[in-house]
Amino acid sequence: MSGLQSALEPAGEQAAGIHGLFWLMMLVCGAMYLLVLGGVAWTLWRAFRRRRPASEPTIDPPDIGLNRGMLGWAGLIVVGLTVLITASFLVERNIAAARARDALEVRVTGHQWWWRIEYRDPRTGGWIETANELHLPLGRTTRVALGSADVIHSFWVPNIAQKLDVIPGRINLLDLTPTRPGWFRGQCAEFCGVQHAHMAFDVKVDAPEDFERWLAGQAKAAAIPADPVAARGQQVVTGGQCAMCHTIRGTPSTGRAGPDLTHFGSRRSVAAGTLTMSRGAVQGWIAQPQALKPGTMMPPVALSGPDADAASRYLMELQ
Amino acid sequence: MPQTAPNGAQDSRAAAYERNLYQVAQGGRYFTWYGCGSCHGRSAKGPLNLGDRVWVHGGALDQVYGFIAERHPGATAGYAARIPAEQLWQITAYVRNLPRLTPEKRRRQDLDQVGEPQGSNWTGPVR
Repeated sequence: MSGLQSALEPAGEQAAGIHGLFWLMMLVCGAMYLLVLGGVAWTLWRAFRRRRPASEPTIDPPDIGLNRGMLGWAGLIVVGLTVLITASFLVERNIAAARARDALEVRVTGHQWWWRIEYRDPRTGGWIETANELHLPLGRTTRVALGSADVIHSFWVPNIAQKLDVIPGRINLLDLTPTRPGWFRGQCAEFCGVQHAHMAFDVKVDAPEDFERWLAGQAKAAAIPADPVAARGQQVVTGGQCAMCHTIRGTPSTGRAGPDLTHFGSRRSVAAGTLTMSRGAVQGWIAQPQALKPGTMMPPVALSGPDADAASRYLMELQ
Repeated sequence: MPQTAPNGAQDSRAAAYERNLYQVAQGGRYFTWYGCGSCHGRSAKGPLNLGDRVWVHGGALDQVYGFIAERHPGATAGYAARIPAEQLWQITAYVRNLPRLTPEKRRRQDLDQVGEPQGSNWTGPVR
């Protein structure tokens, strides 16, 4: 019931509304269910009590109590449904209502099978790109503009808000207002191809000043590695096959097809939640992505042992 | 999965790419992703037009592959070091198939790829 990815432990205003609605529905439907079971039990008990020898057929007189009971039952159903419809209308209206006007602007693009995430830079007005890890300021509304590069996906962080489909050719807007700091997990919630299950992302809710510091760090170009092995790794990554699809700001790597790797080493997971971030995972992912995530668009990159080692060391240093 | 360039016009690995529409279409995807269309797009004229059946540098499998991988001019030279071999096979299959890409097929392909990354200046789907 609880955890990093659970709608039953809300950590956002939108999710809290839905959570309340969930329990109201549980209560109303649970009460109705118990009443039905009670009615069945009572009927059976009456039938047993009145059992007579079956030799002579009898005709029961009209049961006035039963008719009244049925009327009351119909009224109860109407009242129950009215309560549920009204409550869900109010919750949905509240979720759809425009919140704080100074919402943080974030663009999220669904790709097969990863998430491109861009933040509006408060200093320059440009966009700061990262991938597969969404950071949010606590207590402030973030307005996520959802777009798709290929097929229909669905963006869902159950602890913070409802899910919203990501439709090719459209921009869908979703407000997230986190109310509790910590790590959460989001997941694509619309089947989008073979690696749909490996299309997850981490969500970090931070105090606003921590978030600002993090965002300023993400806005920076990649650090130039100091030690010679990592420097060799930089040559391998930015001068070789990685650069065709990946951007590492501050280097000749300017590809746009894959995730931005400028601060890759600071993330928690590799390949959209497929692997936990570690040097071994990075090296394995470069060498045999099809073995780890069959169908991924990442091609295997054949590197010599020392080059693979240097490349993974460099990527881990991209903090 | 090929790790090397074709060893001639009749390389036995060719059929798996040139006669497989999935592989040809993947080549088209990389063609878009890597921004080839910015010069070789729909309105390309003369030697930049890859679909006119005129092969300035030879139209055989190994010639097209070799030209993209080793001899492609301009700022984008040296694709052999920057694109994995299998993708080069797919791109070659796509390029050699371009004369057969009718306007209707091209229109469908453009629709399929409308939101996909295109070159290094791409800023996102439908903004």
